[in-house]
Amino acid sequence: MAAISNRTIVQELKSGDRLGCARLVDMYQARLIDEAVHVFHLPSEDAEELVSDVLLAVVRKINTFEFKRGDGDFHLWVITIFRNKVRDVVRHRALTDGLIERFEEGGLRDDNAYSKVEREVTDAIIRQYQEAIRDSESAITEGESAESAGAEGAGNSTVAAKLLAIADALERLETWERVLLRCRALDVPYDDIARYTDKSVAQLKVYHARVKKKFVKILAEHYPELQGNEERTG
Amino acid sequence: MKNERVDKLIQLAWLEGWISTHGAYEKAIVKRNTKTLVLPNSRAALIERLESALAETKADTPLTVGALLRGLRTEHSLRSQEIFSRIGVTQNIYRMMEQDTVSPLKISLEVWKRLIALLNLSVDELAEMIRRTHQLVFFRPMLKGVLARYSSRKKKGMKTSILEKAYSEMYAKANLELPEAEQRRLNYLITTLKDETKGSTTS
Repeated sequence: MAAISNRTIVQELKSGDRLGCARLVDMYQARLIDEAVHVFHLPSEDAEELVSDVLLAVVRKINTFEFKRGDGDFHLWVITIFRNKVRDVVRHRALTDGLIERFEEGGLRDDNAYSKVEREVTDAIIRQYQEAIRDSESAITEGESAESAGAEGAGNSTVAAKLLAIADALERLETWERVLLRCRALDVPYDDIARYTDKSVAQLKVYHARVKKKFVKILAEHYPELQGNEERTG
Repeated sequence: MKNERVDKLIQLAWLEGWISTHGAYEKAIVKRNTKTLVLPNSRAALIERLESALAETKADTPLTVGALLRGLRTEHSLRSQEIFSRIGVTQNIYRMMEQDTVSPLKISLEVWKRLIALLNLSVDELAEMIRRTHQLVFFRPMLKGVLARYSSRKKKGMKTSILEKAYSEMYAKANLELPEAEQRRLNYLITTLKDETKGSTTS
């Protein structure tokens, strides 16, 4: 991946050189499809379309991009666009299929398995997030053109606010636990996390399930209002 | 990777911008071995889409400073005063800038910096427009000379105004070699502009 520098690709794209398009595709197409499918669990057809949209956005906005710190700036910019596109797809899925699915919990041993209350709490957060998306969507549909722009902005912040509890609960963990949960949720390898946290890979693997359990307990304790909410039809 | 409930919650918070991995995830993507096999026709189709998008982007990009200012004024229905007072030039200079009849070398660095800030332009983008504008302004007298010869021969069928527009566009698009001294002055302006705006503009 590092054979061609990002600066070369950016220069080629900015000067209209078509070679830049081929290099961009070779560098990112398979890689981002992988992320969309394996990390965010999107169907492969959706993932392919999403990655096309990401790379099209990169090409269309290339003139607004500038290096500030180093060659890696371009990669961070592409991943930011990718993140925003995945978020849009996830929000769309929340409106259509729903995000509460049959989660796999094979990694948890019996003594670490989630209790009914803990499942309710996590499901309730996802449900509130879905409802906020639906509300925001209907506010935009009903609004008039001038007002809808404002409604969309307000809707986005309301939707995001439904996840504040997650950020808040993470803050209550120890730093290394927080790093472990955040990084593993995005499939960052244990080797990398070990370097960031000064813990061994073996320790991190053992602790991961326990930290997850601890995180859910914190959510259940600090957000008791989320318990006992049966799913409402929306 | 398993589709697990806590991972899902944390992913949602990351997607909505509540949390960050401080670059750890972005670095991990670079290092991963890809598992997806992209079919050659899928790769080729995407490259084709990107190439047409790139061509459209290029066609939409103003070539010269004048084209940029004219586009800005018409697109946002602004009066010229609203622009020249903000970038700090007189009305006459502004008009010459819009018509690409003044060399960018005669415009102060401060004006270019204000223009970058006002339009949220990238320095590279503006530098390219400055280069093309200077080229156009520099070579235009030669073009005028040629046109004057045709005019003096009273070739009425020759629409000089249309010709001038066409030649102007051609000069703006061409990559012509400027005389050494001119090129040095232009390089100096662009380098100084880039140095002075480093870190102060947004992408």
